[in-house]
Amino acid sequence: MNACTSCKMLSSKERCPVCGNPTSSNWSGLLVITNPDESAVAKELGISLAGEYCLRVR
Amino acid sequence: MEDIENSIYALKTSAGQERNVARLLARKSKDSGVGICSILVPESLKGYILVESSTKIDMRNPDIKVPHLRGIVEGNKDITFEEVKKFLNPEPIISSIQKGSIVELVSGPFKGERAKVVRIDESREEVVLELIEAAVPIPVTVKADQIRIIQKEAD
Ligand SMILES: [Zn+2]
Repeated sequence: MNACTSCKMLSSKERCPVCGNPTSSNWSGLLVITNPDESAVAKELGISLAGEYCLRVR
Repeated sequence: MEDIENSIYALKTSAGQERNVARLLARKSKDSGVGICSILVPESLKGYILVESSTKIDMRNPDIKVPHLRGIVEGNKDITFEEVKKFLNPEPIISSIQKGSIVELVSGPFKGERAKVVRIDESREEVVLELIEAAVPIPVTVKADQIRIIQKEAD
């Protein structure tokens, strides 16, 4: 699994399928957003798409 | 919690199963009456996950029964959103290292050796170390996640 170096979304791709930025395998922490519209965590991080994210990526 | 009235619950999981529990719980609670909006698995919390929900989490509810979910942390004090924020932007280890700190290498060819920090490169997240046991102090450059802090302050 890789994480996008910009939006932090997890994917198996070399470029993020959502924003097109490069991904990295060096990430930690997991965040699962199931309901971005109702989530204070998603709002805090500016996440509007449900999915799996990391908390930190290098 | 700002304009969204959710609560954060700490749930206990089997050690090492935090991510699996989070993924299964997300899938299982979807399309149920449970108002789970997000699930956090911070690396620093071993055996726990944090769940953001608009409804009270009841461990007897079959909609949240997943393997390796062990229970809920009952407290007299709710977890505040401010406390959760520190997990959202985890501080890199490098910002807590100082010149002169004593560290242990946790990976690489010098694994297990102790060293003293001689220089810090914040932008590259690298530290230059001097191995304590080495007869000749040769500087070694490693990534900040290859070390563990033994003693933060220089003597
Ligand atoms: Zn992205």
